[in-house]
Amino acid sequence: MNWLFLAQAETPEYNFWNGAPGSPALLTKVVIALLVGIGIMIALMFAPTRLRRPLVALATFVAGGFWMASTFWPTAPDAVTEGRNASEKVAIFLKDVTSVVADFSNVLTAFLLGLGIYSIVSVHGKRILKRQQDWSFSVVLFASIVLMAIFGYADWMDEQNRTAAVTALSPGFWNRGRDLLFDGMLQNMDAAMFSLIAFFILSAAYRAFRIRSVESTILLSTALIVMLSLMGVVVSAWDGLAGDFAGGNLKLSEISKFINSNLQTPGIQAVKFGLGIATLAMAMRIWLSLERGGLNS
Amino acid sequence: MATNDPTPRSFGQRLQSLSRQTVYLILIIVVSASVLISKFMGLTLPNKPGAGSQDFFAAIMAIPEGSTVFIQSDVTNSTRGESAGQFEALLRILMRRNIKFAVFCASGEPQAPQVAIDVIARINAQRIANGERAYERWNDWVSLGLFPDGRATAKAMMANLRTAIDKKDTPPGKPPTDVWQSPVMEKLKVIDDIGLYILVTASKTSDILVERLKFAPVTYGDVPLRTKLGCMVTGVMGPETNNYYRSSQIFGVVIGLNGAVEIEHLMENGIKPGQSETYRSLSIEGFKGMQNYARGMAYYLALHTAMGLLIVLVIMGNVGMWLTRRQTGGGA
Repeated sequence: MNWLFLAQAETPEYNFWNGAPGSPALLTKVVIALLVGIGIMIALMFAPTRLRRPLVALATFVAGGFWMASTFWPTAPDAVTEGRNASEKVAIFLKDVTSVVADFSNVLTAFLLGLGIYSIVSVHGKRILKRQQDWSFSVVLFASIVLMAIFGYADWMDEQNRTAAVTALSPGFWNRGRDLLFDGMLQNMDAAMFSLIAFFILSAAYRAFRIRSVESTILLSTALIVMLSLMGVVVSAWDGLAGDFAGGNLKLSEISKFINSNLQTPGIQAVKFGLGIATLAMAMRIWLSLERGGLNS
Repeated sequence: MATNDPTPRSFGQRLQSLSRQTVYLILIIVVSASVLISKFMGLTLPNKPGAGSQDFFAAIMAIPEGSTVFIQSDVTNSTRGESAGQFEALLRILMRRNIKFAVFCASGEPQAPQVAIDVIARINAQRIANGERAYERWNDWVSLGLFPDGRATAKAMMANLRTAIDKKDTPPGKPPTDVWQSPVMEKLKVIDDIGLYILVTASKTSDILVERLKFAPVTYGDVPLRTKLGCMVTGVMGPETNNYYRSSQIFGVVIGLNGAVEIEHLMENGIKPGQSETYRSLSIEGFKGMQNYARGMAYYLALHTAMGLLIVLVIMGNVGMWLTRRQTGGGA
């Protein structure tokens, strides 16, 4: 088995990590992966408590080490392995396995979704069984989850046999149902929740935005110019009035551009630079398991 | 004798003490009226596109017909006021120019792929109603679905595009098939084969892509690009993303609802010689006579009135404070 499967002149369609859809080879790999996964889970469950911390630290170090190496290791000019020195072979190996590690990472991240569903079922299931306060809302939640799943899946199945033109002219029953639930209800509720921010911003600005000091005066004036610059009608009128007076520098669009280029951008760059250094320090601490908290506490 | 009558409030105090409910009600009335007026009167307000939107438009108008564009759409309908207008304008341009595209989400937002597919369906329905060709899934565009870990996916795309995207989509009347067999994807081997990589986002995914994706410089027509990455972001993310535009780490940036209107304006009017701040002699024809002003312009009046209301309320509060201070000798 050539583990450097990508480091070949022609990348094979199937390799150690995948297989043809529906093939016995793929099924075997899935079963083996499942068994290995379950085995690791059981081993971790029965591992002594004092062994868990180093195990987690090791897993963190290996996972972080891969991304660190794939970022900082010098790259090889191409993927052919013949005649390469050890450093270049490592570079090719890192490049090869990036997709595989990314797949692992995507699957692990997707598990968070499953974890969320498990948590919802657990909390709201108990609430319904024990008839706790507002249990009826939990029933609505379960009904929503099930309905959305049914209509979503049925629509997807139905879609396989329909062209875009047919769907656009005459959407089927499942499509209408899915559309009502997803676009008609869920998405509008989502947008409604987000739109609350406008109310809070307006109310907060009205109550708190006061000219009490030089700093607040500068802040308020700058905010006023930026807000006005977002209003095309005002920009058009202001720029028309300002014309080429003072070399055109009194146009609202020019003043706004000056603020954006010379005040806003450098300010944000400074903040991001500081944040970057802090993130790097924190990442190093987590990678080396120096951070207190969780299993390290 | 003690009295229960409250002390009458001065005019200055009244100006500062509008109740929350009153402020909310005024906002609802002002914004709703603006949206309705826009809808029924079909208002087209003036707009002056900024350099970020001009460069973005220039790039997507310059890529060769038949190229494949990657659209990472990480937005849901929570930010549709801004993102939907941008996304719709982008799709209209790509479809009118016969440019293929692959749409996907790489931010761990499970709703995003479906939101994008629904927008494509909406634009397709409009095209069919206008007698234009329907943009067909699989042959003209594909959905690559969800990549929960955007960081790892971006690294994998850089390492090997072919193995990073292990997805299926549905050809018309056929079962789900490997996307690499689609006409949209079949010619792509490495990341530099992508025409453009466009991110539509309401979050910090622009950071992730700028840090991980590296494109070789390319020239499409009269438009030289130092990178193939461009962004359409919400107003909140605008200032941060603008940093990358200023340093040429993205080829263009469309910011917020104003940016959506800017793109619609450019679709209508194009870019005339001397108008572009970056490419002085560049001339691009727009799509005159077609439906260019859409969702962005529909909300533009509401943006004006909401901003205007915000400014009026802030002025009211400050005038009230000033009057009260003057009345109380500066003690309030």
